[in-house]
Amino acid sequence: MLENEWLAWFILLLPLAAFVVVGLIGRRLSEGGGHVVVGAIAGSFVISLYFFVQVLQEGALGEGVFHRLVGYVWLPSPISGTQIEISLQIDNLSALMLVLVSFLSMLIAIYSLGYMHEEEGKPRYYAEIALFVAGMLGTVSADNFLQLLIFWEIMGLCSYLLIGFWYHKPEAAAAAKKAFLVTRVGDVLFLIGVLIIWNQFGTLRFTEIASRLSVLSPELLTIIPLLLFGGAVGKSAQFPLHAWLPDAMEGPTTVSALIHAATMVKAGVYLTARSFIFLVPAVPNVQAPFTAILVIAAIGGFTAIFSATMAVVAYDIKRVLAFSTISQLGYMFLGLGAGAYLMATELANGGEPNSAGYSAALYHLFNHAFFKALLFLSAGSVIHAVHTNDMREMGGLGKHMPVTSTVMLAGALALAGIIPFSGFFSKGEILAVTFEVGAENSVFYVLYVLGVLTAFLTAFYTFRLWFMTFRGEYRGHGHPHESPSVMTVPLMILAGFALVSGLLVYPMQGFGNLVFYEEAHAALPLVGVPIQEYLLEAISLGVAVLGIILAWTVYATRRIPAERFTRSPGGSFVHTMLTKRYWIDDAYDALGSRVVYGMARGLDWFDRKVIDGIVDAVGRGGMATATGTDVFDRKVIDGIVNGLSLETVRTSWRWRQRQTGQVQSYAWVVVFGIVVVVALVFVFGPILRLLGGR
Amino acid sequence: MIPLEYELLLSALLLCIGLYGVLARRNAIIVLMSIEIILNASILNFVAFSAYNNSPSGQVFALLGIAVAAAEAVVGLAIFLSVYQTHGTIELDKIRILKW
Repeated sequence: MLENEWLAWFILLLPLAAFVVVGLIGRRLSEGGGHVVVGAIAGSFVISLYFFVQVLQEGALGEGVFHRLVGYVWLPSPISGTQIEISLQIDNLSALMLVLVSFLSMLIAIYSLGYMHEEEGKPRYYAEIALFVAGMLGTVSADNFLQLLIFWEIMGLCSYLLIGFWYHKPEAAAAAKKAFLVTRVGDVLFLIGVLIIWNQFGTLRFTEIASRLSVLSPELLTIIPLLLFGGAVGKSAQFPLHAWLPDAMEGPTTVSALIHAATMVKAGVYLTARSFIFLVPAVPNVQAPFTAILVIAAIGGFTAIFSATMAVVAYDIKRVLAFSTISQLGYMFLGLGAGAYLMATELANGGEPNSAGYSAALYHLFNHAFFKALLFLSAGSVIHAVHTNDMREMGGLGKHMPVTSTVMLAGALALAGIIPFSGFFSKGEILAVTFEVGAENSVFYVLYVLGVLTAFLTAFYTFRLWFMTFRGEYRGHGHPHESPSVMTVPLMILAGFALVSGLLVYPMQGFGNLVFYEEAHAALPLVGVPIQEYLLEAISLGVAVLGIILAWTVYATRRIPAERFTRSPGGSFVHTMLTKRYWIDDAYDALGSRVVYGMARGLDWFDRKVIDGIVDAVGRGGMATATGTDVFDRKVIDGIVNGLSLETVRTSWRWRQRQTGQVQSYAWVVVFGIVVVVALVFVFGPILRLLGGR
Repeated sequence: MIPLEYELLLSALLLCIGLYGVLARRNAIIVLMSIEIILNASILNFVAFSAYNNSPSGQVFALLGIAVAAAEAVVGLAIFLSVYQTHGTIELDKIRILKW
């Protein structure tokens, strides 16, 4: 039993309250509310840490922990288990994610105090950051798919708002729109998946679904995780929905670090980890959906190398990191896919499931969050100093910015996977598991080769970035200077983590213990540093070193100038292809402008001509009727009324003419009247009497 | 005894003469005189029927009529005098204020 369960709600409520407060009165707070947001996130971090320690003590070292904090019943239902609630789930995975997210958010928010100091619109920035953090914390602590989806969409909204923070820049506005629209494609798939889950199970709770899995047909068991993975592909910028992430670098660097490196893009990995309930069915007699697993692993492996190649030619320091993020996320999906395949085969063979790939992927998520946030924030520090993103205008900054250059070196070593930095352990483990699964399905051998090539490219582009930025001669303008300590201190903390987060597995006796995804698999073997995989580790370390050496020769000593490659015809074609991002963005744009705009134009025509025609015709008909009625009203009705009055006037006029004022003419009338009366009495009287019979 | 018819004829003749005066003459004095003639025609009728029926009440009405005629002449002449003072004439076709 967790102590002080109710506190867990404050993990979400603190940033949410900060969002409301800063959103409403941020202008009057110090630093545009930045201090409030940092405080709130720090509060979330402390509470998360408190629960994480409890989870650890309760038995993460050997046993799975699962707690459900029932909250507000949103849509009640008479059938138990089918009501939709807003509830929290605290288990190994979510406790770890809560700590990770709140810790990184806190550091990045502190860094923002320095980085965003001179910006306009700070209250907006901090309010959106707070809302984002609430969304991310809600995503990783949701206990059902609907709640997860809601917080997932909140994150998407904040991502959109923050990419477009400098909305007056057309590129930023366009990037925000692109990010929103592209991730929406994935979100729709995710939503369809959630609806199918609801239709099939009548519940959206992870644990309930896991125990009722036998009701699914094999086809649906393949389709549902693929739909969920579709959402993950959008959010984690995997091929083919990767196009938005490089453009998202138009936002502030802190946003890139927080949302597009450390947290939100990891939500896709988290979702796929949660969908292991489908990928690796824990109920007997249910065949695991191997096709879905293969798709996930293949997309991950392909995206890893695909995006790493594009990072090699990018000159924008942040875009290199963005491509690298996509590539590393690809590693995570590859690890999850390989892990799921491994577990599922072992379960099918009746053996003990081995969670190596699963925990390696999440381990890489954990490490990557630290070192990629570090790299982005270091890049932000550099950009802060030289006021440009273009690495061609940097160089030689190591002399001016010793702290930034050192911490960024730590991040680069971690990303490249050099022992003892964290990337070495998790990336090596992912590759090792992929190689191991190759024995079951040879596709994974191909993916392993792709992964090793990616490791080489990763080391190469990472050190290309580092050498171009910090070595050689300064090619820019002005005098770069080191950033203030409010920025460098978070960097140093993160650098420390980039170094030790890989070593943490030793005291934890393997990372697998931290991330069991459900109770049934609590007694899995410990997975940490793979002692028996020295050769595989040596290969991944070797290619990384090769990559660094190549980068050193090309960009630091310039013994082999890069131009030699781009000048040859084949090389220049490759260079153009990579710079153009394989023309995929262009293809999407063309698709958008040709097909979608074509359809839109067609619909527009239909709308204007047909729909508007009908509407106009109805309008004209109404107009004609109204005119007719108007004429009838004016001519006939008014005619009658006017005629009556006119005739009355005329008649009265005529009669008035008879009032001559001549006494004698009146006398004539009197005489005439008398004559008439006499005539009536003496002529008509007898006739009437005869007719009346009297 | 004069037959009643003669008397009635005379009365009718007087009425016609009076009507002619009233309707055709312009001078107000003449018109007033013509009205007196019409009045006298009716008085003659009263008297004639009184004799024919041997009833004295007709003669009483005749006397009353003569008194009324005298009063009428007085009032009429006063009006004419007043009209003459305001309009400067008693030609009836020139006095046209009795209209709209």
